[in-house]
Amino acid sequence: MSMTRSLLPAFAVTSLVFLSLVGCSGEAPVETPTAPVVTPAPAAPEAPPNIAIADLEADAQNVTLVPSPAEMQSAMEKAGIANGLSKLVTERQLKMDVQNKDVVAVRTGVVLADCLLTVKDSPKDKLVERLNVVKLGLNTLGAGKDLPATIDDLTARINNDGISRDDLVKELDEMHGAVIPEIKFEAGDRAVPLIQAGSWLEGSNLVSAAIIAANKPDAGSQLLRQPQVVDYFLKYVQTEGADKAPDAVLKQLEGTLMKLKEIAAKPALSADDVKEVKAQTDSVLALL
Amino acid sequence: MHMLLLSLLAMPARADEDQAETCLRTKIWDGYNTGWAVRTSTKATLNQGGHKVYLVTLYAGNDYKVLACGDSNIGNADIVLYDHTGKQVAIDSSNDREPSLSYTPQATDTYYIAVHASKLNDLTKQGSVATAVTYK
Repeated sequence: MSMTRSLLPAFAVTSLVFLSLVGCSGEAPVETPTAPVVTPAPAAPEAPPNIAIADLEADAQNVTLVPSPAEMQSAMEKAGIANGLSKLVTERQLKMDVQNKDVVAVRTGVVLADCLLTVKDSPKDKLVERLNVVKLGLNTLGAGKDLPATIDDLTARINNDGISRDDLVKELDEMHGAVIPEIKFEAGDRAVPLIQAGSWLEGSNLVSAAIIAANKPDAGSQLLRQPQVVDYFLKYVQTEGADKAPDAVLKQLEGTLMKLKEIAAKPALSADDVKEVKAQTDSVLALL
Repeated sequence: MHMLLLSLLAMPARADEDQAETCLRTKIWDGYNTGWAVRTSTKATLNQGGHKVYLVTLYAGNDYKVLACGDSNIGNADIVLYDHTGKQVAIDSSNDREPSLSYTPQATDTYYIAVHASKLNDLTKQGSVATAVTYK
């Protein structure tokens, strides 16, 4: 029995082979079995070469360095200090019809930051007023016609309730992050960093005010220690502005940045440091 | 705003840069629908193996995504994020021309973003890569 059982499969296989050979005979060449074709696996992509720190430092461009006011606000929310932020924004009447374009650029940045930081809960007329000041600033800077026209369009949509505040946040965010950096072609290279400086100063002022109001000095180390940003603005004000006539705003800005650099160099910020940031940024903003 | 961005960026840009920027703009606006906002966008024209380095301040607590789009001559673009000491903390070395990487910093600090044109399809030409730093 066991022998029969073991022989049956062998017989069946032999029969199948025989039948297949007979069936194919004279009709097609007999194919010898070949090894299955193995497709080589795609080579793993090579990692880009490592760049040494000295080369990173030497090659780095500053175009992405400065955080946006909305990004600052996002970090503040996560630190639990963003409640009532828009109420901390100081009312300012900033004039844009002045001769010194550096000052106009800083002022434009301040008001743009105010727009971004209050866009969700600012009254319609206040928001439109701030956008109009930004437009005046951009016009004075010679930023071309397209951007002011876009602001006109936005203000019309705000007045007609034709845009939600959430969508307005996106529009202003993109304006600040992607469109304004391009106005260097019309307004010159100095305009963009000085607009950024204005926005960053206003943002830092509000962050320090919010930290003090919430009594959370630990948040200062997380939100206000940005030595590279301070350095970037400082070099601009000192080097690029050296040939310009002295201006009270720019002098104060330089002094404030020097102090902020000193504070940012500390490993951790104390409550007094946060108060100093508030006082220093207050003093520049008051001159505007 | 889309049209404004297009017209502003198109004036000084070459055709290939436009292609990279259009791709990136689409990604940025797709990101808005899922809560991502844009810090900055920029562009660079590179030779094969070339790279551009950007200094960036990242806030503790925020989530960041670095996006890039290469034009049609870019066969493979890569992004590497370094901390301020030069240590790699995130990398996208996938074999395509639209790399992205995500990172959530534990401390507010300065980082370096390196964007590489790792492979060009036509070595006689340069390739353009548009890059954006987004956050939420």
